[in-house]
Amino acid sequence: MIRKVAISTVVKKVGSHPIISANGFISRDLFEVCDKNSNFYMIGSMGLASSIGLGVALKNTKKKIFVFDGDGNILMNIGSLITIGITKPKNLVHVIFDNSSHESTGGQPTATNKIQLSKIAKSVNYKVFQVKTKNQLVKILQKIKLIPGPIMIIIKIEKGGVISKRINIEPTKIKNRFMDSLTK
Amino acid sequence: MKELTQKQIFDYLFNNGIENFIGVPDSTMKYFIDQGFKKNKILITTKEEESIGIAVGMSLSQSNSLVFMQNAGFANSLSTITSLIQLYQIPIIFLIGWRGFLKNDAPEHTKIGKIQPKLLQALSLQSKIINEKNWKASCDWALKLIKEKKPCTLILKRDFLD
Repeated sequence: MIRKVAISTVVKKVGSHPIISANGFISRDLFEVCDKNSNFYMIGSMGLASSIGLGVALKNTKKKIFVFDGDGNILMNIGSLITIGITKPKNLVHVIFDNSSHESTGGQPTATNKIQLSKIAKSVNYKVFQVKTKNQLVKILQKIKLIPGPIMIIIKIEKGGVISKRINIEPTKIKNRFMDSLTK
Repeated sequence: MKELTQKQIFDYLFNNGIENFIGVPDSTMKYFIDQGFKKNKILITTKEEESIGIAVGMSLSQSNSLVFMQNAGFANSLSTITSLIQLYQIPIIFLIGWRGFLKNDAPEHTKIGKIQPKLLQALSLQSKIINEKNWKASCDWALKLIKEKKPCTLILKRDFLD
C-alpha cells in the first residue's frame, strides 16, 4: 500500500473529525485526496503535528482528533509521545504513515526499520496497532471506535506514487477554517 | 524578580484569560511556575518546540496559552516561531528567561544572552522586558496583543547568580 491509498482509506473513516497532518507529502496527499475545513495542514514546523494534535485533543474532548504523522516527523519530536503518555487524551488517534524514509526530501532512510516505535509508544501508555494491508487497516479503524486513547496506528507503507500538488490555501485561511470547524 | 511579584504575574495572567501555561522550566521564573503548579495549570514538556505545538493546538481551540522557557529554548524554537506561529499568525504569549543578562552569568549563557535582543528584533517578535514596576502594564500589553490575535514576548531578566 502506498501512502496516498493509506491516507484515503483512513480519511473515509474519519468523517468530520479534525485531522492535523504533518508537513511534506502527507499533508499534500491529504489535501488532494480529501480537502476539508477540519484538516489542519501543518506546512512547516516538522515534528509538531503530534503536539498540535495533543493541544486540540485536550481542549475538544467530545471530538476524536486524528494526527496524520510520518515516521521522520515523529522521530523528530519523539518527546511528544511522552507528553501524550502523561496527559492520556482519550480522544487522540495518532496515525503513523511509516515508509522508513524521508520521502518528501528524496527518500533518505529513517531509523524506523531498525528500532521498534511500537514498543516506545506502548511504554508511554499508547494502545498500539500495526498494519500492513488495506484490509487490516479497515478492520483496525473499525475496532478503535470503541477503545479509549491515546491510540497509535502504525501503517507500514511503501514508497512511491505520484507526487501530490502543493497546498494552495493561505496558512491563515487554513487556520481560520479549521478553528471554525472546531466550533461546530 | 521577587517571589511575590512572580506569583502576582501568574495570578494576573490567569485571572485575565490565559488558561494554559506550557513550557520548559527556567530558574529565572521559578516562583511563577510554582504558583502555576499550585493552581494545577502547568504542563511541562520535553522540549520548548513541543510546548509551542501544544499551545498552538489549544489556541486553535480558542483557549489562550502562555509558553515559558529559558532563552536557550527560545533559540531552539526559532524555526517553529517563523514557520508555525508567525506563518499562521497564532496568538501566544512567550515568557522568556533572559540568561546571560548579567555579564558574569554561567559561560554557556553568554552568547545567547548577548544576541537575544537582536534575535527578537530579526524575528519582528514584539517584546517587553518586565520588572517590579512595569509588570502589570506589560501583562496588559501582552493580553491586548493576544486579543488582537498577535504573538508577543515578555522577557524576565536573570538578575541574580547562584
